[in-house]
Amino acid sequence: MKMKKIEKWLLLEASGELSPRQLRRLERELAVSEDARILRGDLGRFRGSVLRQEFEPSPWAAAKIAARLREEHHPARTVTRGLKPALALAACLALVAGILIFHEKQVSSASVAVLAAAGSDVWNDSLEEDMSRLESQIMAISGDSLDTIEM
Amino acid sequence: MEQDDAKLLSAYRKGDSEALGVLVEKYKRPLFGFILRFSERREDADEVFQEVWVRAIKNMSRYRQKNLLSWLFRIAHNLMIDRVRRRKFILSLDTPVSEDGVPLGEQIADAGLGPDGATDGRELGLRIEAAASRLPLEQREVFWLRMQADLSFKEIAKIQKCSINTALARMQYAVSKLRKDLAGEYRELKETGI
Repeated sequence: MKMKKIEKWLLLEASGELSPRQLRRLERELAVSEDARILRGDLGRFRGSVLRQEFEPSPWAAAKIAARLREEHHPARTVTRGLKPALALAACLALVAGILIFHEKQVSSASVAVLAAAGSDVWNDSLEEDMSRLESQIMAISGDSLDTIEM
Repeated sequence: MEQDDAKLLSAYRKGDSEALGVLVEKYKRPLFGFILRFSERREDADEVFQEVWVRAIKNMSRYRQKNLLSWLFRIAHNLMIDRVRRRKFILSLDTPVSEDGVPLGEQIADAGLGPDGATDGRELGLRIEAAASRLPLEQREVFWLRMQADLSFKEIAKIQKCSINTALARMQYAVSKLRKDLAGEYRELKETGI
């Protein structure tokens, strides 16, 4: 058996994932291979040394976890959380309505301007008519063209 | 899931807050040790540790696995992958991991060899810690899940979402590098009969 395979089987042996048949075969390999026995010893030492390193979370970790779970299951918060999409939708609608109203006002101002412009056109037309009428009257009185009078 | 764990979880759901404390106490060392090894600071590790439990409890109804610890590691793995992706969670030897704020690198250097030149298991443990921190992320994860959390390769493969052979290959690379890095220490250990 190749060393790589022996290594793999030694790892599986330590985790209890070798079948009885594989275990027997591994034992046969270990009996004849010194390298395999050294590797097994090294793996054992790794494990033994690693297990001496113990780290613990802060002593109040469990209390904090319980507090967070209580907080996340708080009914008032759940209701608020449930309302969040509705509140967001309402805010969006308000924004759209605001934009529309603003736009409408702009349109109204523009309409007033257009009407004012149209009004000035109307005024100009009537003035034009008045002027033409006046011109005709002057011509009628003088029996001459307005150009000559002007000259 | 172990019968005890199932009973404790059921008790917690029925309002027995003590039951959660018992569960946290039961698994705190392997889980926190694992998280700490991939954390920038101890506070980060505490935060992830709490988040793992909160997520585990919240999603307990969807949980069908046999081993609670394995499931907790799976959640921790996902959280840490997220953090690594955001580049907030890279283990550094300059980073304090102990309560007194001494960086891991200094702890390891201070450990050194004893005055008589002999090493013991604790010193080797610190050297393994230092050497393992230089391994690539996946190999480091397999190494600690196997060596400290005592998970099987089948469970590790499930956590890392890979095949058992891939998990085994990662472990083989890790062991091979550590054996090379720690060759001197091993020689001394053998000579002192440890």
